[in-house]
Amino acid sequence: MTPARRAARTGLVSVIAVAALLPLAFLIALSVSAEWFYPSLLPRRWTVENWNVLRGESAAIGRALSMSVALALGTGGITAIAGLVAGREIARLDGWRRRIAVALAFLPVAVPPLALSIGLQYSVLRAGFGGRLGGVLFAHIVPALGYTTIFFIGIFAVFDWKVEDEARSLGAGPRDVLIRVTIPLLRRPLVEAFALGFLVSWAQVPLTLLIGQGLVSTLPLELMSYVSAGQDHLAATAGLILTIPPMVLLVMAGLAVRRLRVVVP
Amino acid sequence: MDGTNREPRLSAKRDFRVSADLTFESCPHSQLMTYASVTSHLCLSKLRFFQTAMAAVLACGCDTEAPAPQISASLPWDSIVARARGTTVQWRMWRGDPSVNAYVDGWVAPRLLRDYRITLRTIDGQGPAIVNQLVVEREARARGSADLIWINGETFNNLQKEKLLYGPWANRLPSAASVDSLSSIVMRDFEQPTNGFESPWGRVQFTLIYDSVRTPDPPRTVAELSRWIRAHPGRFTHDQQFTGTTFLKSVFYAENGGSRSFEGGFSEARYDSGSRRLWAWLDAVRPFFWRKGETYPAGVADLHRLFANGEVDFTMSYNENEVITKVRQGVLPATSRALVLRDGSIANTHFVGIPYNSPNPAGAMVIANFLLSADAQLEKLRPEVWADGTVLDVSKLPREAAARFRAIDTGPRSIPRDTLRRYEAPEVAAEYTERIARDWKVRIRADTK
Amino acid sequence: MSDRENGDAAMDSRLRGNDGGHPTEARKHGEQRREFGLLAAIVVASPVLVGVGYSVLGALGVAGPGADGLGMRHVQSVVADGATWRGLLWSLWIASASTAIAAVLAMAVATVFRGGRVSNRLVRFMALGPLPVPHVVAALCGLLIFSQSGLLSRIAFATGLHSSPADMPALTNDRYGIGLILALVWKEFAFLALVAFSVIARRGAALEETARSLGAGALHSFRVAVLPALWRGLLPSIVAVFTFVAGNYEAAVLLAPSSPLALPLLTMERFTDSALGVRGEAFVLVLLAMVVSIAGVAAHEWAAGRAEAGD
Repeated sequence: MTPARRAARTGLVSVIAVAALLPLAFLIALSVSAEWFYPSLLPRRWTVENWNVLRGESAAIGRALSMSVALALGTGGITAIAGLVAGREIARLDGWRRRIAVALAFLPVAVPPLALSIGLQYSVLRAGFGGRLGGVLFAHIVPALGYTTIFFIGIFAVFDWKVEDEARSLGAGPRDVLIRVTIPLLRRPLVEAFALGFLVSWAQVPLTLLIGQGLVSTLPLELMSYVSAGQDHLAATAGLILTIPPMVLLVMAGLAVRRLRVVVP
Repeated sequence: MDGTNREPRLSAKRDFRVSADLTFESCPHSQLMTYASVTSHLCLSKLRFFQTAMAAVLACGCDTEAPAPQISASLPWDSIVARARGTTVQWRMWRGDPSVNAYVDGWVAPRLLRDYRITLRTIDGQGPAIVNQLVVEREARARGSADLIWINGETFNNLQKEKLLYGPWANRLPSAASVDSLSSIVMRDFEQPTNGFESPWGRVQFTLIYDSVRTPDPPRTVAELSRWIRAHPGRFTHDQQFTGTTFLKSVFYAENGGSRSFEGGFSEARYDSGSRRLWAWLDAVRPFFWRKGETYPAGVADLHRLFANGEVDFTMSYNENEVITKVRQGVLPATSRALVLRDGSIANTHFVGIPYNSPNPAGAMVIANFLLSADAQLEKLRPEVWADGTVLDVSKLPREAAARFRAIDTGPRSIPRDTLRRYEAPEVAAEYTERIARDWKVRIRADTK
Repeated sequence: MSDRENGDAAMDSRLRGNDGGHPTEARKHGEQRREFGLLAAIVVASPVLVGVGYSVLGALGVAGPGADGLGMRHVQSVVADGATWRGLLWSLWIASASTAIAAVLAMAVATVFRGGRVSNRLVRFMALGPLPVPHVVAALCGLLIFSQSGLLSRIAFATGLHSSPADMPALTNDRYGIGLILALVWKEFAFLALVAFSVIARRGAALEETARSLGAGALHSFRVAVLPALWRGLLPSIVAVFTFVAGNYEAAVLLAPSSPLALPLLTMERFTDSALGVRGEAFVLVLLAMVVSIAGVAAHEWAAGRAEAGD
C-alpha cells in the first residue's frame, strides 16, 4: 500500500472513530451534568440528578421502556420473516410486474411517518384498536415491513438462484426449498433484517403517538417531550437509555453472525 | 348503567334488554337505546345479549363510542364523589416540564389515591394535538382516551366551536366558591366566558427574562426595548410559537394605547389599523434581531437555550415565575431575572376541561375540585414546586389558609405581586391572536427569496 | 468481438446471476406462483393505500380535523402559497445532499474495509455506531455541537479564535441546512453502511474472485465486478433514505431555519394551526410529500429498468 493510500485510509478510520465516539461521549457528559453553558468546555456541575429524575418518574419510564422493548421485538421478528418471504417473491418477478411490486413495497418506506400516522389513525381507531398494544404493533409493522422487504429485495438482487434450482431439481417442494435451503443461507441477512425492523419500531414516534392515543407510552415519546421542552440534559439521559438496547442488539447480532459463520460453511 | 364503568356489565342481575340485531356498527349507545327495544322473553333476550355482546367485543374490541355518561344537573356533589371512588382518571396534559410532572405525579396523585381512591394516569398531549385527537375520535367513533384535559385560550375556543367539551360542570364544584370570580382574567378565557365548560387551575403573566450580569439596566417599556435592540444588534429575538405570539401581542397593545382599544370582540378594522403599527415597529427593529431576523427559534425552549448560551440577551415566558423553576432545573443561568413591560403584561389563566366523550366525568370533576382546593393551590404556588399563580381569591379563604398564601415568599427572582397587578393586561378575543400569528408567519416567509 | 470482450460479457452476465440462476429459470418451475409477488407487495402496501385514501378525503375537506365541506379550496390555497414550493425545494435539497454524501461514504467504507481481517471488522463495527442512536438525539447533538454557542464554537473560544458566539458561522438554523445535513449524514451513513456491508459480504468476495480469475486487474475487477453489484444492492436503500430524510420532522424542527420552512415543518404547522379549517391544508401537503416520494420511487424503477435493459 502506497503511503498516500495508507494516509487516506488512516484519515478515514479516524473520521469514523471520531464520528462514532464523540457524540456518544458528549451524550454521556450531558447526562451526568447540569448547567453547561457557553463558553464553558466542561459543565459547571457534575451530577446524577438527571438519572434520579428519570428514576423518580420511574413507573412511567419503566413502563415506557418495557413497552418499547415488546413492540420492537414483535416488529423485528414478524417483519424479518415476512420481509424475507415478500422480498423473495418480489425479486422473482420479472418485467413490469416486478417494477410495480417494488414500487408498492416502497410505499410504506416512502410515505413520511407523520403522513402514515394521520392516514392510519382513523381506520385503526374505527376498528377499535386505538390506544392498545395490538394497534400500535400493527402500526409499527407497516413501515418496518416496507424496510425489510426492500432490504431483502436488495439481497435477492444479488442472490444466486442456482442453489434453489438445484434443490428443486433434487425433488424438494417450494416450501422445503424456502425453509431448508434459502433461509439457512440467509441467516445473516435475517438477523440484520430483525435488527432493522427492531430499530424502525424502537425509534418510532408519530405512529405510536397518534395510534396509541397517548395511552401507549414508549421511550421515544418521553424523549420528544424533553427535547421540545428544552430539557437537554434529561433528553440526553433518555436518549442514552434509548440507545443502549439497540446497541446491545447489534453487538449480539454481530457476535451471533460470527458464530453462525463457523457453523454454516 | 354505572357511568364510571368501562366494560359492559354482563351480570345476570342487570335488567338489560337489548335490540336483537346488535351489529358491529351499533354497540349499545346509550341507556335510552338499551331500554328502547323491550322483549318479553327475559331469558332469551339475556342469552342473545350475551351472544351479541360477545360478538361485538370480539369484532370491535368494544371500544366504540359511548358519550360521556351524563351526570344529571341535580345530582348532589357527594354522589358524584361516590361515583368517582375507586376509579381511574386519565388526564391529558403537557408533560414537558419536570416541575409540573413532579407536582402532579408526586403530590396530587398520591393524595387523590389516599383521599378518594382515585388512580390518576397522565397522558402527554397539548393544545392542537388535543383538538385533533378529539376530532378523530369522534369521527372514528372511538372510545374517549382522556377524562380530563389541560387547556386554555385557542384550544378552548376550538373545542367549544366543535362542541367537543362536556359540560357545563365547573360551577358545581364546591371549591369554585373560592375562585376569584370577580377577575375577568380568571373567569374569561381570551375574552370568552367559560360558562362552566372549563375550571380554572392557575394564572400566569407574561414577562421578559434577562441576565442581571449581562444586562444590568434592561429596558422596561416597548419603546426602550426597540432602542435597546438597535443598540445591540443580533442580541434579541422571539420564538415562533405561543410565547412569541404573546410578545407580539404585547407590542400590539403597546403601540395602540393598551389592550382597552381591542376589547369587545374582534373587529377587522381595528385589527388592520392596529397591526399596521405592529408591523411598522417590527420592520424597524427586525434587521437588528438575532440572525438579522431571517430565522427564529421554533419554540420558547429553543429561545431559552439561545439565551442561556449567550447568543441573545433576552428570553421570555408567559409565566412570570418560570425563571425560578428554570434556574432550579439548570436550564437558565442563576443570574436570570424577570421583568414586566410597563406597557402591559398579558395575563391569562389556564384551565382543565372534560372532553365530550370522557368515560369518567365524575372522577374528572373530583380531580378538578381537588386542584382548586387551598392546599393544592398553595403547593402549586411554592417556588420550589411550580411557582404557578393561584386562581383563588385569597380573601374568600379561611383566615389561616389566607395567611399561608400571603406568607409565601417567592424569592428574590420573582416580581412583587403588586407590580404584577399594576401592569397586568387581559387577553382579548382569540381571533386577534390567530391573525397576528398567521400574518406574522406570512410576512417573515414572504421576504425571503 | 475479441475474446477479451466476450469474456467480459460472459462475466457480466454471470455476475448478474443471468447464468442459469436468472429468475426466468425459476419461473418455469413456479409459473403459477408468479402472482404471489404482486400479492405480497399489495399486502405490504395496503395500509399505506388506506392512509392515502384518508388523506385524499381530508384534502378535499370531507374528513379529518379540517373537514368543512367538500371542495378544492385547501388544494388551491396550498398550491398558490409560495411557501409550499420553497419548502418542497428546500427539503429536496436536504434529502439529495445528505443521501448522496452518505451513500458515497458508505460505499467507500464498505469497499475499503471489506474482508475478514480483524482491523477491517473493527472499523466496520465502529462505522455502525450511529445506528442505534435515534434521529432526534442525533439532531440534538448536532445542535449542541455545531450551533454558534455549541461545542465547536466553545473550542474556538478557548483557543482564542472567537470572542463571541456571533463570530462562529451559522451552521444551524441556516439557509443551507448544513448542520441538518451533517446530522442526517451521520445517521444515514450508518444505515447505508449496514446494507452495503451485507451486500459485499454476500457477493463481494465471490464476484471479485470470478473477475480476477478471468484475468482482470485488481482495480478493474473491482470497478466492473463489485461496484455495480454494490450499487444495485444499495439502490433501494438509497431511495428509502432519500424519502425518509425528505419527510423527517424531528431533526428538522431542531436544525432547520424558519424560512424557507422545510416541508414536514410546514405540514406540522398547518396541522396544528389554531384555525381548524386550515388543517385541511395539512392533508394536501401530506399528499404532496407522498407524491414526491412516489415520484422518486418511480424514477428509481425507471432507471433500474433502463440499466437492466442496457446491460
